[in-house]
Amino acid sequence: MVFTTNIFLFYFLPLFLAVYLSLPRAWRNLWITLASYVFYGWWEPWFVCLMMFTTVMDFIWGKVITRPEATPFQRKLAVTACVVTNLSFLGFFKYYMFAAHTLNRLLALVGAEQFHVMKVILPIGISFYTFHSLTYIVDLYRGHATPAKSFTDFSAFVALFPDLVAGPIIRYKTLAAQLARRDSTVSRFASGITIFMIGFAKKILLANPVGHVADAVFNAANPLPLDAWVGVLAYAFQIYFDFCGYSDMAVGLGRMLGFEFPRNFDAPYLAESITDVWRRWHISLSSVLRDYLYFPLGGNRKGPRRTYFNLAVVMLLGGLWHGAKWNFIVWGAYHGGLLGLERRRGKQSLYEDLPRPVRIGFTFLLMLLSWVLFRADNLAAAWHYFGSMFGLLPAAGTAPLLAADIYTPYRLVVMAVCAALVFQPVQAHDWAQRPLTWPRVAVVTPLFLFSVMTMFTQAFNPFIYFQF
Amino acid sequence: MDIRPPTIAEPPVAQAQPTEPPAGGNRQAELALIVFFLALVATVPIFQAGLELARDGRVEALEIFHRKPTSVNLRAYEHHLEDGSVVARTLRPWFQFAQFAWLRDGGKKALVGRDGWLFYKPGFDDALARGREALSGTNDPVAAIVAFRDALAARGIHLLVLPAPNKSSIYPDKVTSRFAAGRTVLSPTTRQTLARLRAAGVEYVDLFAAFAQARTNSASRGAPALYLAQDSHWSPAGVAIAARIVARRLVELGWVRKGAMEYQERAAPVKHLGDILRMLRSPGLERRTVPERVPCVQVVHGTPAQPYQDNPNSSILILGDSFLRVYEQDEPGSSGLIAHLAKELKQALASLVSDGGASTIVRQELYGRPALLKHKRVVIWEFVERDIRLGLEGWQRVPVPPAATGSRD
Repeated sequence: MVFTTNIFLFYFLPLFLAVYLSLPRAWRNLWITLASYVFYGWWEPWFVCLMMFTTVMDFIWGKVITRPEATPFQRKLAVTACVVTNLSFLGFFKYYMFAAHTLNRLLALVGAEQFHVMKVILPIGISFYTFHSLTYIVDLYRGHATPAKSFTDFSAFVALFPDLVAGPIIRYKTLAAQLARRDSTVSRFASGITIFMIGFAKKILLANPVGHVADAVFNAANPLPLDAWVGVLAYAFQIYFDFCGYSDMAVGLGRMLGFEFPRNFDAPYLAESITDVWRRWHISLSSVLRDYLYFPLGGNRKGPRRTYFNLAVVMLLGGLWHGAKWNFIVWGAYHGGLLGLERRRGKQSLYEDLPRPVRIGFTFLLMLLSWVLFRADNLAAAWHYFGSMFGLLPAAGTAPLLAADIYTPYRLVVMAVCAALVFQPVQAHDWAQRPLTWPRVAVVTPLFLFSVMTMFTQAFNPFIYFQF
Repeated sequence: MDIRPPTIAEPPVAQAQPTEPPAGGNRQAELALIVFFLALVATVPIFQAGLELARDGRVEALEIFHRKPTSVNLRAYEHHLEDGSVVARTLRPWFQFAQFAWLRDGGKKALVGRDGWLFYKPGFDDALARGREALSGTNDPVAAIVAFRDALAARGIHLLVLPAPNKSSIYPDKVTSRFAAGRTVLSPTTRQTLARLRAAGVEYVDLFAAFAQARTNSASRGAPALYLAQDSHWSPAGVAIAARIVARRLVELGWVRKGAMEYQERAAPVKHLGDILRMLRSPGLERRTVPERVPCVQVVHGTPAQPYQDNPNSSILILGDSFLRVYEQDEPGSSGLIAHLAKELKQALASLVSDGGASTIVRQELYGRPALLKHKRVVIWEFVERDIRLGLEGWQRVPVPPAATGSRD
């Protein structure tokens, strides 16, 4: 189910809230689990079976790891088995087809017979909920968390619908206490509504219209250079407002239920270096990769070479986490390379000495280039697009037609609003963190009402990060 | 040595830690917001259910309990709820009107061009889409056309293919000022498809070149436009040119000899609200739009003059889509391509029209009506340019009905 749909907003959410708020506290986690399974199974009911299976399995592994009589070897064996099993599921559903097609291409190169590749459907959100579970198991093993008090608490944590399919990636230890006890207050609930409304508006009023521009340009045959730059600019806005909007809605819904989720974005397009970008963009993913991959690899404690190697591994896997395509791997390598360069300079960008607006501009430009890799259908399409951006390819005869689609008053206004919002320091999340006053209500209510009305006129438009 | 945890992401303040909600807000404002939100999300379904109960005695939302929970059923249920939403249906036309009138945005169906011209969005998208993708398998128009040509040839019937250009291909200058007045464009896919048809020896009529030539001439003479401003189809002027060129080509090829029927023309102007405008489904917009005056020319014969009529026993059959239907089956009637081609060839034709289905469906219908192929020497197959990529049901290979099959008409 998608937050910005009729079915979620007018059926699932009111029904869920009505039951949730009228249940005694002891029953609420069970209701969250059941409702989250409906929410998740809405795409494909059998996906729920997979999630239930891994949830039961991880809960049992958690018990095994934290048994008082377990020896260090048994604990290590259990955590290894659990991590391998979870990653095997993720690997099969997400990477099997990619690996098999790649292998087939290699076989074709050497003239060997290719094998049949079965079609595997990717369960939505598997990357997110697998990481949720893994943080639980690893934190238990490290002694950073205590085991879930009940299966209901754990299943509610894994399935929790607000952050289930596109994050933020929340660690068990962050929510452990809240799963046991959380307070629903008027202020908290109202604050949750505010953030939800802002996230909703970001998706409907900004991300979807600029996404149309990005789609039009990326799908066009050899666009003109100016249009190609406008297309990737539109995509930069789209992915930010789409993902940040989703995260805001997740935080808002969580808060309505009494949970406190971490923020996932902090004005990423105001970053002054790529190192800074990763402090501000998808914060929950970068911190999970750091704590559960970079540090275990040795971080920077094993010398400079190993540090660069670790950085490269983390970013390559970070890229691969987004999807089983070569362009995501190259995207990860691009960021890993830039982070390595900046690390050599003491985590400073190559243009550190320039004025701040120029540093922000350069960083944004580097981000734009990386978004081409991220958005293109495949690596060949990405190179093709770069060719259009830099005028290396002749534009198609029909390319000038694009102007009629992307430079309409509507699109230009939305692009301008996006630019104004991303390049100013007060982020919606911060704005919503302030105490609610009448003027704020007067801003968010018409904004939400207008967004809902606009939603009725838009086609189904799922969030970009659902595919990851 | 630096033993601090190194970083790919060291959030300066919080390491993905949750932030506490604000305190000290205005309690009345908080309560007002909660009431507004809950009232909004709860009122819409309650209102909908009340209306449905009063109207049909049942609530559509409860249908979920009567269906097997499969992905397909759930999608259908969700779409059903969305389509049936009274609130959405009430608001949508107004929003579309506002988007169109104030922001020049026509949504998924329409593109707002210059000088009041509208373009059918899928046709426009087709002109822009990448031409590098291989059109293959059941979606390869050339393979389907060649197979159809060969099957007809086996029965001694010639095939003439007639791709009707997208409006945006002939009037790109009405789409954007980036094109000089009078210019036309050809999308990479169309160019590639025409080249492949030539290479395969398929006879086709190049209306792109003909219309481009006509535009060059009309730009200097101020002749009427070849397409309607608010509609996706050609104008009577476009019809007349297409009819003339197709007729000339048939005669040149020696496939058809002109007949003896003398048709006349008479003016039959109509006022027409374009199909693109109607696709927006905004009554407000339709009310505020002045219908286009279309100077149709009706083909008639006899005394008193009777509008042209098809002859199923003709030796010429024309297949196609709505480009054949306009002015022919729509008002004023007998003023479309079929009638004008008949006038040029001095003989009545047989025709089979399938709206939007020229790529595959029209041939499937022909297969179901074998009598239409009796006595035929020529089949003309018209399809709109955008169908090359976006043809409904793709470009399936459909067999030609066997000659011996009896009529089911």
